[in-house]
Amino acid sequence: MRWVLLLVLLAVTGCKKAADSKDTPKARAVGLVTDIGGRGDQSFNDSALRGLEAWAAGSTFKGGGYEPLTPKARAATVPAELRATVKPVPVRPLVVQSKVQEDYQPNLQLVVDQGASLVIGVGFALENAVETVAKQNPDARFLLIDSPVLDAKGTPLKLPNVRTVVFEEHEGSFLAGALAGLVAKDTVGFVGGMEIPLITKFEAGFKAGVLTTNPKARVLVQYTGSFDNVQHGKQAGADLVNKGAEVVFHAAGSDGSGVIQAVKEARASGKAVFAIGVDSDQSHLAPEAVLTSMVKRVDLAVWQAVFDLDRQAFSAGDVVMGLAEGGVTLAPVTLDFPGKAEALTRVEALRAAVVSGAVVVPSTLDALKTFTPPASQGGG
Amino acid sequence: MSGLVLSLLDTVLDAAPALIFAAVGATLSERAGVVNVGVEGMMRAGAFAAAAAALVMPTPLGVVVGVAAGALVGALHGGLCIFARSDQVVSGMAINLVMLALGQFLLEAVFSSPSGTPPITQLPRWLGHSPLTWLAVVTPLVVHGLVERTAWGLRLRAVGEKPEAVAAMGVRVSRLRLGAVMASGALAGLGGAHLSTAVLDRFEHHMPAGLGFMAVAAMVFGRWTPLGAALAALFFAFGNALRLSLASSFPGLVEVVPQGVLLALPYALTLLVLTLQRPGLARAPAALGRPYDPELR
Repeated sequence: MRWVLLLVLLAVTGCKKAADSKDTPKARAVGLVTDIGGRGDQSFNDSALRGLEAWAAGSTFKGGGYEPLTPKARAATVPAELRATVKPVPVRPLVVQSKVQEDYQPNLQLVVDQGASLVIGVGFALENAVETVAKQNPDARFLLIDSPVLDAKGTPLKLPNVRTVVFEEHEGSFLAGALAGLVAKDTVGFVGGMEIPLITKFEAGFKAGVLTTNPKARVLVQYTGSFDNVQHGKQAGADLVNKGAEVVFHAAGSDGSGVIQAVKEARASGKAVFAIGVDSDQSHLAPEAVLTSMVKRVDLAVWQAVFDLDRQAFSAGDVVMGLAEGGVTLAPVTLDFPGKAEALTRVEALRAAVVSGAVVVPSTLDALKTFTPPASQGGG
Repeated sequence: MSGLVLSLLDTVLDAAPALIFAAVGATLSERAGVVNVGVEGMMRAGAFAAAAAALVMPTPLGVVVGVAAGALVGALHGGLCIFARSDQVVSGMAINLVMLALGQFLLEAVFSSPSGTPPITQLPRWLGHSPLTWLAVVTPLVVHGLVERTAWGLRLRAVGEKPEAVAAMGVRVSRLRLGAVMASGALAGLGGAHLSTAVLDRFEHHMPAGLGFMAVAAMVFGRWTPLGAALAALFFAFGNALRLSLASSFPGLVEVVPQGVLLALPYALTLLVLTLQRPGLARAPAALGRPYDPELR
């Protein structure tokens, strides 16, 4: 029995070596550890994987291995406005998926041991694990997405070998709110998951946006209390639609698919109502109902780190990506509505105002109270 | 104001059926003397099977497949509890865990996506709601009739109170119980299918997100009767719709009352009603959780 095991082991390791040698030997390895969402979550993890595998390495993951993408196919994965900046980087992706929270730390250590020059942890859930592994491996470099490294008391901690990226969600939500205010006549809705600072940030930005383009509009707010319950999301969405919301923006994780579903069904029964998705372009969930999505460009953050690594310019520290850095943005608006061209022009003007610093978007509900909307330059 | 009430009714009619089916199903199993905390897993099986089947066949047939999947998991639970005489709570929890993992595994293995199946055609709507909503109105009455007014129902109740007596009558205890647990699974599967074919138009990887446990609570709250369980389920769904509705209708309320209090509203209402209930009425079947062994009399 024992020799069979040995044979199997030999076969497995043998295969692995063979597969490794197929890759270009010079390309340095970049490790990536997903959170429990994993490949195919159509959100955070997929976005990070796109940044590493397609944008940087120019390859696609198929049937357990990597196949090179044609330059055209690679370009198709990059949004038009980034195509000039986002160049291929000669790296070899080393992706490990996490199945449970306990996987994070061993998975990170695993890719360090495999000799990855940079190790990427996707999602704030990996914060603790990245901190521990980064301290144990001072020679390895790390990128943590969506959270700064915090010590036990929750105060930010600087580690010399970790770059962290957080996104200014309120700035993207501001544009979503501005667009919602232009599309809706008098009522818009917001559905949040749990009422935690990360989510009220979306609410504050969204409300500020609505206030800017449609000061008379009511903003109905709803918190479902969960991120995993489609039914709660649908109830919340249907409730807001029944109360006259014409555009509903959600920041509620899986509950959000329920919100979009409620909007989709309301449209099917003849109401003119739109949904705005979050994190990634969610228009595939309901192409006729999703106006746009507040997109977090995790792919760009990952590509940037890999690109810096290749240029020998990788630096540790906390990076904040807002509208100016392209870290948050709105997904392309493909649906038609009356006054679309003017609305999009107005939104672009507001984007420019935020980028230039002329408008400071509030990130908390307290800051929202003192927010004065910029004067509109005609229309709106 | 009438708009408010209509909106409430609308969301309740959409959300309650899954809970009603599962809670009524749970009473069947428990009245026959088999503890069923595996409702969550059975709902998950039904939700997944219905959505997966609806990809290759008409959605109503998919719902039937979901019901069958629920019954199959029910048969597993029944087999373990009745023939292997394993601990009924442990078996139920094991089923929940296995279904949780199996659903995720199948999603990744078959659809190579951890987040859900591709979209399916939703069930058609009759009078603004899915046919399952209207079925959920009828089901508790039918099950009530079956349990209270038929010979099978009498035997079912007897087997949960004193299985020895039923055996002495010449009726097979194991077969009767297995039938009840499978029917319970089928109804839970139907509840799950409602989630994936009527509430949403696909299986989402979190489903049913704790609804199965709510169903078990509704059954206890409804004193192990089909009508009581259905009313309790309706009450939970109403409580949830009410707190959502209050939050959006009266934004000032949220300034005064923390969101957490609103979130706890359905459960606080439940506690309130429980304290108002006359004591002594709520009683579990006498042989609940006790495997029947014909050798021990």
